[in-house]
Amino acid sequence: MQTSLIQNAHNDLVTDASYDLYGLQLATCGLDQRIKIWSLDESSGNASWNLEDDWKAHEGALTKVAWAHPEFGSIIASASFDRTVKVWEQVAVDTDQQVNGSGPQSGSRWVERAVLTDAKGSVRAVEFAPHHFGLKLAAISTDNHLRIYECLEQPSLSSWQSAEEVDVPALPSATQHSVTGAHATATATPTQTTSALDGASAIASSMTMLAQQQQTQTPSRPGAGSREADGGWCLSWCKDRHWGEIIAVGCGVSGVVKIIQFSPSHRPVTLLTLESTSAPQTNTPPTRPTGITHAQIVASSSTPETSTPFAVTSVAWAPSCGRSFHLVATGSRDGRVRIWKLRPGMQADEQPQADNAGDGTEERWTATLVAEFDDHKSSVGRVEWNITGTILSSAGNDGRVRLWKQTMGNVWRAAGQISVEQTEERSQDPDIDMDENAGAE
Amino acid sequence: MSTCVSLIPPLFEESCLEDYLKSGRTVSFTLRPTANELALFATPLDADFRTGQPTSQNYPKEQDVYVTCWDEVPTSERRLFITDTSIIFAAFRALVDHVKTNEPELMRAMEYMTAFRKLAGDYITHIQECWVHASQTISRPQEDTRFTGEHYRSMYTSLSIFQTLYLPEEGIDDVPVGDELLEWLNTHFIEPSTEEGDQLSALEKPWEDETFWQYLIRVTLRGLTKSSIFFLQALSQHPSEHLQMISEKLVSILEKHPRQKNYATEKEFFTASRRWKDRAKALRLELDRVPDDDRQDEFENWWDNISDLLGIIEGRAEVLQRVCVELGGDWKEIICTWGVWIDVGLRRAELPDIAGRVMYDVPSDPSSKEDSLHADLFLGRPLQALSVAHDIDVWLAAHLADIMIPLGLLDSETDDESKLTIRDQYVIAYADYLQSDPGLWRHTVDYLCSCGPVGHQMADEILLRVPLRLEESAGKHDAETSDGDLAEVVKDINNTCFEYQREPVRRMICKVAAQKLVMMKKYGLAISYCLSAEDWPGLGRIVDRVLNEYIAHGPSRFTSLVADIAPSLQELQVEPGPHGVFVQRLKFAVRYAEFHHRSRSGAVDYAALDLISMFEEDLAPKSWWGVLLNDSTPFLQNESTLYFSAADASLLLRRLEEVKIQTDHGYGDDYLGVLARTMNLTGAKEALKRLDVLRICLARYFARCILKGKSRIV
Repeated sequence: MQTSLIQNAHNDLVTDASYDLYGLQLATCGLDQRIKIWSLDESSGNASWNLEDDWKAHEGALTKVAWAHPEFGSIIASASFDRTVKVWEQVAVDTDQQVNGSGPQSGSRWVERAVLTDAKGSVRAVEFAPHHFGLKLAAISTDNHLRIYECLEQPSLSSWQSAEEVDVPALPSATQHSVTGAHATATATPTQTTSALDGASAIASSMTMLAQQQQTQTPSRPGAGSREADGGWCLSWCKDRHWGEIIAVGCGVSGVVKIIQFSPSHRPVTLLTLESTSAPQTNTPPTRPTGITHAQIVASSSTPETSTPFAVTSVAWAPSCGRSFHLVATGSRDGRVRIWKLRPGMQADEQPQADNAGDGTEERWTATLVAEFDDHKSSVGRVEWNITGTILSSAGNDGRVRLWKQTMGNVWRAAGQISVEQTEERSQDPDIDMDENAGAE
Repeated sequence: MSTCVSLIPPLFEESCLEDYLKSGRTVSFTLRPTANELALFATPLDADFRTGQPTSQNYPKEQDVYVTCWDEVPTSERRLFITDTSIIFAAFRALVDHVKTNEPELMRAMEYMTAFRKLAGDYITHIQECWVHASQTISRPQEDTRFTGEHYRSMYTSLSIFQTLYLPEEGIDDVPVGDELLEWLNTHFIEPSTEEGDQLSALEKPWEDETFWQYLIRVTLRGLTKSSIFFLQALSQHPSEHLQMISEKLVSILEKHPRQKNYATEKEFFTASRRWKDRAKALRLELDRVPDDDRQDEFENWWDNISDLLGIIEGRAEVLQRVCVELGGDWKEIICTWGVWIDVGLRRAELPDIAGRVMYDVPSDPSSKEDSLHADLFLGRPLQALSVAHDIDVWLAAHLADIMIPLGLLDSETDDESKLTIRDQYVIAYADYLQSDPGLWRHTVDYLCSCGPVGHQMADEILLRVPLRLEESAGKHDAETSDGDLAEVVKDINNTCFEYQREPVRRMICKVAAQKLVMMKKYGLAISYCLSAEDWPGLGRIVDRVLNEYIAHGPSRFTSLVADIAPSLQELQVEPGPHGVFVQRLKFAVRYAEFHHRSRSGAVDYAALDLISMFEEDLAPKSWWGVLLNDSTPFLQNESTLYFSAADASLLLRRLEEVKIQTDHGYGDDYLGVLARTMNLTGAKEALKRLDVLRICLARYFARCILKGKSRIV
């Protein structure tokens, strides 16, 4: 049921939108280089979204807008083709001098707090870390680099330190060897206090990584990461505190999502690689998920065309809410929505005891593909979970948003769709009165 | 839920997806964290779009954003139903939890089963009311399109048969169930209609009507003895003497039809039933003796019909089944009359077997979810039943599953991986639906919190997103006294958090509230929330913000803001805790405001005491020393009064010296930064110069002290 329509929201296509934690404010951004903030007004009995603020935010089209946890204030980050990430804060009008835009007379304005300019290519995605890790954000750009920034001065928000920078394709995939290898590296250099990739040992290990990467890469892949058009696509933080800072990243055209863990004590590690290409059985990493059991899954062996390289353009990590596993959804250009079930490995302080060794607890992370849908029949541009991780939604080039729900027996099933295509029946639909859904000014 | 929502205005014509994509567009969306809504918008097709330069646009310049809900938002009637039944749900949970904790082995004892039955009955009553209400309002156009009268009717029949089958009266299930099943059938699937009966009874020779025999057989089958007898008696006018005689005997048989409720013991009932059937069998012999040429009247073969009727009374299963089908009845009619005519001792435990056999010949209607659900319940397949119930209404599946647990119909073990039971999964699915109305958050939380640790964490996500409505409460607050009251909504959330022991999320909510109030400059309230969250660093940050107000706007605004936060200091001093450093900072802010207040209101003596005490008690942060020293100058310059003792003056001198030394060492900003900002100076060096005046003043002050003999210099 359509509840509202924001008419003429932007003067060009909208590239992203994001609600605040409460769903009472909506930030939108677009090709028009502007960010707009809309706030919900329910006073009239009908929900309407009123323009609260509007400003030119970047020198290029915007790609993403993301909210920080309100514990830190009213803060958003935006990413753009101008190769920057900017941090904005909503402030009460009278205290700040530098204001943007010319929104209506509300008691607050959004001000620019920081501009992060490290990316050597368009920044495609930005997302704040879960609040328990502090005020941090991660950004991925077409230069293949995943960068994590931490805010050093919280009230002023002006100083952001680059905490991590990872060349995603160069980080070895999580083969069984590379995972244990990474652990070995970490313990072998206990004196290393910095996680930055500098210093002789880091260079040496980067070389090793590169070598490993070259070994594991399929020669037939058309220069993954070589063109800006490929590069980094998407990222999503693991919402759970227990496992430390972990990010799922989609990068390049190899159809792979890397699950990367960041820790102050060792350099970033690929915990797991979610790889859905399948056909040639050679050169398949041992962690390639196996045990696909559900009938819902489009068996990958029956779709040989999936061996064609494709980009994973959207990834979403579901809130785990205390489940023993994680769910990560991906949407990619091969037209598939996939749901992966990730089982965490043991943490360093949970080494197997003599009496529980061999009880099936894996030391490393494992993943299983639990659902795969080709209903969009065309490139999937976005996947997103609801707040409890029970409903997945996806959008594709079939012009539809589709919903997916888990049913009994852990089978995921289509649970509805939303279309913008004209239907005959709709033109007679009497129950939505356009005039009641007031747009912005 | 599995339907397609179409948005207005459409972005492309029917079957014109190709053209839409060619124009360089596709769609994208974002989920709203509440209300089961999403915002949908047209977005560039090629994610490699480079710049925002207006390209050769094949689409309109103005772009809309659509907001849509994927569930039907509950109407007021539905909301009432949800709210009312949640009370029963809570009572049911409380009872189950009580038994589980105290006497788990008695879960299925008579006493508790009776209580469960009663609560299930309460659900049924509410559904019945909804059915009646929704049926009456069907003509109103704005009413619910999904939850119609018919919808509630199917829930009503389903939950009723569940109660009949699985929640027997007084908790005794090992008793004949025939009468109860027939009663359910007669209540929910009324046949034949009263109108038919009225029409026939108005006729002088009803047997001449084509519906007569069907009607007579069906009322008999349904145990509606009065109607059967009435029309059998009408046959006394029939031209056939044989029929007159037989119908008279049938009347006397039916009049004595033994019903379970009339017998004290099952044995007596069975004996009576057997003897009664023998009478029917005797009548069969007489019926067979009717000559062939008298078996038909001008309208119908009465003999065949009477034979069917007698066959049912005799307890012939094949006759009952055939007749039911001929009458347009379904498997339900066969099974629900089975226990009255075929096997009067029919037990609940035997039903799945009988139902299976009957449905083999007369299958359930796969196109009707209601019929499928009934079938699964009769067949004793709770899992399948829940799956169908879920398709009918998530409410039904959740509440059925909830009742099934104490009855032992479902596995109560949690799944190893998901840490949820089957019941939990259905209850969570219902909670998902409840989210479509954010106003129902308390119910969403109640239901989720019945689903183990995972459900509790899901509830946290809901609690965290309840709008705090601080603007409204803060506005109200201004009008009243600033007693540090929390907003109503926050109190409400706090209570829910306490009830379910969700302390971390409660603190987070208070922390966020404090953050929002700081932005609104409601510092007093913000501190109340900080205290409630025990967020001491947050408290420190608020005090810093208040002190910043002094830097930015000077003393008058500062003192009024501190008046707002001062009461919380008393509260803090009463409760000692691990928050010393932050309380210290708050103390400083309060004392410093007091100082300004006193010096402006003429209590200069006391102001001087305040000033000195801030140094003496080490209240003042080093960054504020410069400001305090500068503040002391006018007191020292006062020609008429010596406000400080010589010891006080020498303390000021020592602090001044320390500031000078540290500035010389390059740490001036740590001591003079704030002073420099309040006086708009370029830096510490310049600020230090301003304090030169103080040095001279102090020298003169000491001289005056000696002259007045106030004290000796330390």
